[in-house]
Amino acid sequence: MSVLAMSNIQKSFGSNHVLKDITFHVDKGEVVSIIGPSGSGKSTLLRCATFLETIDSGTIRYDDRNAAETVNGKAVYAKNLNDFRHIFGLVFQNFNLFPHFSVLKNMMDAPVSVLHRNKEEVREECMALLAKMDLAGKADAYPCELSGGQQQRVSIVRALAMKPEILFFDEPTSALDPELTGEVLKVIKQLADEKMTMVIVTHEMPFARAVSDRVVFMDKGVVVEQGKPEELFGQTQNERTKQFLQNYSNT
Amino acid sequence: MTLLNIILKMAEGLEKTCAIFFLTLLFAIPLGMIVALLRGSKFKIISAIARVYISVLRGTPLMLQLIAVTYGPYYLFGISISRNKLIPVVIAFTINYAAYFAEIYRSGIDSMPIGQYEAAQVLGYSKIQTFFKIILPQVIRRILPSLTNEIVTLVKDTSMAFTVSYQEMFTIGKQIANSQTSFVPFVVTGVFYYVFNAVVGFVMGRVEKKMSYYKI
Amino acid sequence: MKKRVIALVLAALIAALTFSLAGCGTAKTPSTDAETSGQSAIEGSIKFTMGIDPEYPPFSYLGDDGDYTGFDVEICKAACDYLGWDFNVFAVNWDQKLIQLDNKECDCVWSGMTILDSMKEAGYVISRPYFDNEQVLLVKADSGFKSSADLAGKDVAVQLGTSGESLLNDDLKDLADIFGNVVTCDSFLKCFTELEGNAVDAVFVDRPVADSYVAEHDGYVIIDEDLGAEQYGIAFRSGDTELCAQIESAVDALVENGTYAEIATKYTDIDEGNLILLK
Repeated sequence: MSVLAMSNIQKSFGSNHVLKDITFHVDKGEVVSIIGPSGSGKSTLLRCATFLETIDSGTIRYDDRNAAETVNGKAVYAKNLNDFRHIFGLVFQNFNLFPHFSVLKNMMDAPVSVLHRNKEEVREECMALLAKMDLAGKADAYPCELSGGQQQRVSIVRALAMKPEILFFDEPTSALDPELTGEVLKVIKQLADEKMTMVIVTHEMPFARAVSDRVVFMDKGVVVEQGKPEELFGQTQNERTKQFLQNYSNT
Repeated sequence: MTLLNIILKMAEGLEKTCAIFFLTLLFAIPLGMIVALLRGSKFKIISAIARVYISVLRGTPLMLQLIAVTYGPYYLFGISISRNKLIPVVIAFTINYAAYFAEIYRSGIDSMPIGQYEAAQVLGYSKIQTFFKIILPQVIRRILPSLTNEIVTLVKDTSMAFTVSYQEMFTIGKQIANSQTSFVPFVVTGVFYYVFNAVVGFVMGRVEKKMSYYKI
Repeated sequence: MKKRVIALVLAALIAALTFSLAGCGTAKTPSTDAETSGQSAIEGSIKFTMGIDPEYPPFSYLGDDGDYTGFDVEICKAACDYLGWDFNVFAVNWDQKLIQLDNKECDCVWSGMTILDSMKEAGYVISRPYFDNEQVLLVKADSGFKSSADLAGKDVAVQLGTSGESLLNDDLKDLADIFGNVVTCDSFLKCFTELEGNAVDAVFVDRPVADSYVAEHDGYVIIDEDLGAEQYGIAFRSGDTELCAQIESAVDALVENGTYAEIATKYTDIDEGNLILLK
């Protein structure tokens, strides 16, 4: 069963046609990496999936329910979009932690004040999550007191605290110093091992290859090719994919 | 009149100065926020009205506004001038300061990174929750220095209430100066305002320090 | 950085002290030096600036043509014409008038000004009195107030810096105490506005000003009760005795040649019986 199914997605910013009839789905327990050059539309696709951008037309379905559909050529969103938001979590490139909240409050606040869950229960879960991520000592720290890698790990556990069915990562290591990317990738790998459903937009090719069940290559607003990582990275027949991967390994 | 007598007499005026100061803050701080939010409204007409409000109140002298609020209703509609001058004085100060506060709030709200809104949205916060839990606390932290500036100015501006015959500290200072043909009461007045502002500065400094537990 | 702050604070304090001492002291310092006394000779003609309260009809006010006029203004102008001096008017802030005089913003204060002992004590040169004045209470005709006793517990407006205000603080303190509130306004027009708009019940004011107001506005009466007899005069800086004498003799000449009486007849609100020089 698909957790997320997007079909025939069109999105333009003014005259810039960013997504051209994209169809994309993610199955339960699947880890999908989206790769592609800058401006290929991969981040926009993620932002459309998380409702940060509105699509021009197409269909977005979560758990076989329509979050957005197209009526008379125009996208119409469901009234209860917030119910859909509880299905996914998003990890931003630049963390977007709430600087005035402690680490624990960053994690606990949404489950308590949005999902109206029991505070003590949430606290226990969050402390357990922090312990698992090697952040137990940082519960009372403020984001400004953490390294970039720690901040990104906190933003991952903040998303996990909402117990999403699917977790999106928008270039999670791009804002980090190279020596800090490892700890973040390790966490994502750990989640992949636990069969967390994930979509990762990334430039870390070796990582995408190692962690993904499926890799999607996008260029100029279309999905050029997708498949198992070993197929796509190892023996692609597509010229554009080849060229992209070649450029990448050269740099 | 001894210096002590002068100080005691001025202290009576201080009470009225404090009344203007605290009541103005009490009303102008929330009113300014409402104006700032209206100014940022998606409805062009509402935002235009808020813009005009801000531009008129910032573009005309406070003294004129005081006179307009105090005497305007009488000249325009024949409504009796209030015997308790504190009412028109506080109204005039509130609408004037709300305009300045609104601009400060707006600059603070505009300076918030879009990522904070996006993170809140993805986590499912409602618009109201986002504003009060995520945005406003950070905005206050950002605008505190400019707010302090404005509040210090307010302390000094209270002296303008003398134009509508409200017997605040400055008016009393002038009265004593006249009857004594002496400059000493003005020096005392200056010291009173200075001390008042020193207290304001100290309190705001403490608040700023208290809020600086995190870096922006 | 810290040192600089301390230095600045010290400098500010010293400046404030000097200023305050100067404010108290200049009144006693004779300024006999003609060069600095404000009446500097400009190509042979002497420039003379009279200080007035611009909102004090009928003695001094802004005329319909936009120039300052009034009884005092016209007399001063005629005196300057007689002396061949260059005549100027400067509108003072009434409650700061003596400081402004000391500061040489004007050469005299001549604007229905009541002679107070405190002025003489402070060393100002005061001309001989030219007008007998009294303080009266102006009320609305329909208010039913007939005497000052009726105003017990009521609010009374007075202009800041006038003799009326000092009387209420001093000789007429007993009267002030029966009033509910004494409201000080920064001009007489504001006092009258407050009365018009029912914010006060009476205005404590010089008789001619009250007369002038009653003549121009319906529905106001003066409570017939002399509350404080006093006289108007002209104030000069201490040491300007000669200047005072020159002005006095010029005014005498105006009385002599009839100009004084001629100007007086133009101001019907001014009771000729009160003009001392015409007696």
